[in-house]
Amino acid sequence: MNQLNMSNIDHFKYDNSIVRKFAFATMIFGVVGMLVGLLIALQLIFPALNFDSPYTTFGRLRPLHTNAVIFAFVGNGIFMGVYYSLPRLLKTPMFSKLLSNIHFWGWQSIILAAAITLPLGFTSSHEYAELEWPIDIAIAIVWIIFGINMFGTILKRREKHLYVAIWFYIATWATVTILHIFNNLEVPVSLVKSYPVFAGVQDALVQWWYGHNAVAFFLTTPYLGLMYYFLPKAANRPVYSYRLSIIHFWALIFIYIWAGPHHLLYTSLPDWAQSLGMVFSLMLIAPSWGGMLNGLLTLRGAWDKVRTDPVLKFLVVAVTAYGMSTFEGPMMAIKSFNAITHYTDWTIAHVHVAALGWNGMLTFGVLYWLIPRLYGSKLYSVKLANIHFWLATLAILFYAIPLYWGGVTQQLMWKQFTPDGFLKYPNFLETVTQIIPMYSIRAFGGFMFFSGLFVMMYNLFKTMSKSSFISEEAASAPPLPKKYVSPKGGHWHRVLERKSILLTLLSVIAVSIGGLMEIVPMVWLDSNTPKISTVEPYTPLELEGRDLYIREGCVGCHSQMIRPFRSETVRYGEYSKSGEFIYDRPFLWGSKRTGPDLHRIGEKYSNSWHYNHMLDPQSMSPGSIMPAYAWMLYDDLDTTQIAEKIRVLQLLGTPYPTDFDKKALSNLKAQALEIADDLKSSGIEQERLEDKEIVALIAYLQRLGTDISKPSINK
Amino acid sequence: MKMYKYILESVNNINWMAIIPLVIFFVFFVLMFIHVIRTEKSHIEKMSKLPLTNDL
Repeated sequence: MNQLNMSNIDHFKYDNSIVRKFAFATMIFGVVGMLVGLLIALQLIFPALNFDSPYTTFGRLRPLHTNAVIFAFVGNGIFMGVYYSLPRLLKTPMFSKLLSNIHFWGWQSIILAAAITLPLGFTSSHEYAELEWPIDIAIAIVWIIFGINMFGTILKRREKHLYVAIWFYIATWATVTILHIFNNLEVPVSLVKSYPVFAGVQDALVQWWYGHNAVAFFLTTPYLGLMYYFLPKAANRPVYSYRLSIIHFWALIFIYIWAGPHHLLYTSLPDWAQSLGMVFSLMLIAPSWGGMLNGLLTLRGAWDKVRTDPVLKFLVVAVTAYGMSTFEGPMMAIKSFNAITHYTDWTIAHVHVAALGWNGMLTFGVLYWLIPRLYGSKLYSVKLANIHFWLATLAILFYAIPLYWGGVTQQLMWKQFTPDGFLKYPNFLETVTQIIPMYSIRAFGGFMFFSGLFVMMYNLFKTMSKSSFISEEAASAPPLPKKYVSPKGGHWHRVLERKSILLTLLSVIAVSIGGLMEIVPMVWLDSNTPKISTVEPYTPLELEGRDLYIREGCVGCHSQMIRPFRSETVRYGEYSKSGEFIYDRPFLWGSKRTGPDLHRIGEKYSNSWHYNHMLDPQSMSPGSIMPAYAWMLYDDLDTTQIAEKIRVLQLLGTPYPTDFDKKALSNLKAQALEIADDLKSSGIEQERLEDKEIVALIAYLQRLGTDISKPSINK
Repeated sequence: MKMYKYILESVNNINWMAIIPLVIFFVFFVLMFIHVIRTEKSHIEKMSKLPLTNDL
């Protein structure tokens, strides 16, 4: 370089300390998230591990596990990768160190808030969006701060063209913003309780549009961005086909957004939406596999390196797991296949191949690559990294295979009839106890994966302790010319690579078309959802009972959606109809049956059966793995908010009579007294029984699914 | 068992909702594919080397 050019070079520093902060956070929350996961896996084998405490039951800990792994472990992993790669790809430091730190501490505070509120039972019950409204607002603020920091960096860059990894980051940011806002539209009742604006089928569709795309745009696209940056870095060669990466990007973000309804096959969701979800899910194989092949082929001619470099080993397994789960996902979206896998442990196996394999292994690979570079040293022990690699890889097999086996076994047992036409296994519990050995092997797999994490942490801390941290890394690059002169015959995509705002806008349009096309007709269909004349709003006591059902996370193990199969209608009763859910805020269809479906549980058992079952499930169903809910028998029902709850529901369109909020409490007490009297007449002796939570829960359970069998009233 | 027939009966000709997305995507994909193929090689090479240009 000549003298003239040298004087034109900018000198600046990359901030490594923010990268290290997020790296520590991802490791710590990896431990926390997986520890809770291990505990809930063991609870399914040893119900005593629920510790008879409300704060440690499966129903409350499961959302803690999923949130910790998705938003704390993977979330911090995303930010670690973005804060390292984005400035280097753009040849500029991050826009603002202050914003970086607000982002970091803000995100960790949200995680802390989640870790406190979820065990306390504050939940909106939307899967992977359980946090209540004040935390939702905090998430939105921190996310916007991250956005300002990211776009600020993009705007002051020294590299005109945006590398494909950055498109994935931009699409992630834009789409998560939209998803988060729409799925959390709710009206507060108190600081820790709210009701969603959508009800029943609409709520289900919005939730799974969110749930599916949270997987797409939180667990997939940002990690694809990391793959497109860190895989070429680790292999020291460019990505196999940059053209393919462009196709991968646009096809993936366009198709993903349509596929959400595949979570609701055979439910009360309209047929056209189910078919749409299924077709787009199948199409999704193409871009997903394009991306996987692009990753794997980047290593063409360098496979000898994979043998020796643990980083590449982790990345190869990660990309392969991505390929496997993105093949499996579309298969599970085929209706006939979904009929077998849905509600079973197959789903749990599927998400863990993705979470442990794709997200976990990629995070580990990046950490093994990154930490030595942040310390200007070499990895302490390649041997330990290899041990971790084999522990983790085998752990995934030990985790997934038993659950596939158990899932299919259980579904076949659910569906098996005797030659005389009766269910062969009419007792649901038989199908659960049958697969408990599979749960044990799964827990062992989880334990292996968890222990691998400590091997890694020991190795990385040893790496850190033998040299000093480079908190700021000097770099230099020529500034961008003030005015960009487009080369003659410039290509449209090169314009996009230069104009980040345009790229963002187009990404938003690509993902919005799908969302709008699916959700608008559903909201518009509101007036067309067939009303069933006998379906009425919940009474105040039932409403309180329903909120207890939500608080305890019953939806984590019990669905409320009977599919139109003979095996289900014989077992549970009449299949579920969309008109039955119009007052359900939120919907509680569930996605997993660790216990039986409860949609037609109403009036199936006596009040005293439910009372005793909640006190000690094993006494009513020997061998049951359900935790006891004894505190509901002793804790007083909090009725202070019932009037406000009624007012909020009226605001949202539930047709309670005018001034019903003022009568709600007396109505509640009258119904509670009725149930308490019935319990007493069955020989249950307890002081002030009518004031206890259990009475509200019984009221709700006894109401479930009974409206359609009431005699219709001709108005 | 077509449990939702009654929903569709109340909304005529609803199938366009499922067809339009496919058409939109097909057009979008074809246009994108043509343009990607036509991008000049030198640019593609430069872009693919971006992560490797500022090694430590």
